[in-house]
Amino acid sequence: MLNYTFHWRPAFNALPDMLWGALVSLQIAVLSMVIGVVLAVFLALGRQSDNKFLYGFSTGWVELARNTPALFQIYMTYFGLGSFGIHLDSYVALLAGIAFNNAGYLAETFRGGLRAIPHTQTRAARSLGMTAPQAFRLIVLPQMFRIVFYPMTNQMVWALLMTSLGVTVGLNTDLTGVTQDLNVRTFRTFEFFAIAAVIYYLLAKLITLSSRLFAWRLFRY
Amino acid sequence: MKLRTTAAAIFIGMLAAMPAKADKLDDIIASGTLRCAVTLDFPPMGSRDEKNQPVGFDVDTCNDLAKVLGVKAEIVETPFPDRIPALVSDRADVGVASTSDTLERAKTIGFSIPYFAFKMVVLTKEGTGIDTYESLKGKKTGSTSGTFEAIALEKDVKAWGGGSFRPYQTQADVFLALSQGQIDATVVTNTVAQATVKSGKFKGFVVKGDAPYVTDYVALIGLRQEQGLLNYLSLFVNQQVRTGRYQELYDKWVGGGEAPDLTVKGVYR
Repeated sequence: MLNYTFHWRPAFNALPDMLWGALVSLQIAVLSMVIGVVLAVFLALGRQSDNKFLYGFSTGWVELARNTPALFQIYMTYFGLGSFGIHLDSYVALLAGIAFNNAGYLAETFRGGLRAIPHTQTRAARSLGMTAPQAFRLIVLPQMFRIVFYPMTNQMVWALLMTSLGVTVGLNTDLTGVTQDLNVRTFRTFEFFAIAAVIYYLLAKLITLSSRLFAWRLFRY
Repeated sequence: MKLRTTAAAIFIGMLAAMPAKADKLDDIIASGTLRCAVTLDFPPMGSRDEKNQPVGFDVDTCNDLAKVLGVKAEIVETPFPDRIPALVSDRADVGVASTSDTLERAKTIGFSIPYFAFKMVVLTKEGTGIDTYESLKGKKTGSTSGTFEAIALEKDVKAWGGGSFRPYQTQADVFLALSQGQIDATVVTNTVAQATVKSGKFKGFVVKGDAPYVTDYVALIGLRQEQGLLNYLSLFVNQQVRTGRYQELYDKWVGGGEAPDLTVKGVYR
């Protein structure tokens, strides 16, 4: 590192642009989580289903999402679908890719969560006159979310970090995209990447802390 | 006694200071290897042949440079965005990778005099209705992130207010996006456009007119403070042109007439 002098002043001038980029990254992470959680609930149910098609479909999804690189999944939603004439915007492709990945991982987490809830809970609810969907929605799901909340937080942090893969499909508005743009324009690689790393770290910490606060409010007995 | 001690101390001090610190040029010659950062998805400047060996104008230029230095050439494959990090982190000694000599970049790295010059052309697919640079207005465009043409095109797209611009990480991804219709057109260097259309790898690719940018002069790069090396690189480029080797390499890799003029009219380097 002897032959490099850091230029911090001009680098910090780009901080507002990078913070806007961070906001886009956070937005994608949150949206992909919301979509992922909804899909994962259905996938988790599909994995327990007796219907061959539902079981096969959700198992296929989970296997693919968990056993291939996230980069591959995002690349496929953009260039893979593109070769069939389906043109997703870079932003949408990244969001879809991460949501796909999230859903796969969360489905397994949820399945574990569901198994941890005793069957007697459902039976008690049914005997109180609830229908099967009511029992699932009002009794089982809330308990499941309590169990899987911390693993979900992990997935959220993971989703945020995965947004950095957007540059491979031409996204230039998220934090990594903005950083890479600045990098190739000025070649001050180390300054910009260091700042980006700090921003990612702080965002990840923010997610962990806020989810802890959230859990403390939500899951009090 | 005191005087003699002082004199001896000064003498020893001078001796220690005398051998000037070996610079990069010395290091290259002493090590016997010249490591060149070359971009290999940028035909005909740099690419790989059927045997996966690096070939192209830049590769030959690196070999020539190694030859005059009396050392062995080693090609370090470096994507466009990684050219400067490769130099700074000492994975390569010089960059022979079509680097546009912008003032912004010159704050970080040192440039030789230009060793090649590009004109930019519009590359599109048949049936998009694009026939000039102006008709790109409102269309979906894209290019390789951070290159001269990408920066110029993005600026124009923003000024036009309509359409879109997508930066991709490699030239290969730009062509993939264009062939699939993710983008309608791209602006690339004339040499790349020719090579790609000629290769026939992508169906329906056509060159439609010039992009009205100033000529993109590209230079060899080294660390900014290695004046000895940069000086040598500039003289090397001058000699390549003087001896006709520049034209020879141009005929071999690009072809079709005279190699681009490397001087700017009306100003000293």
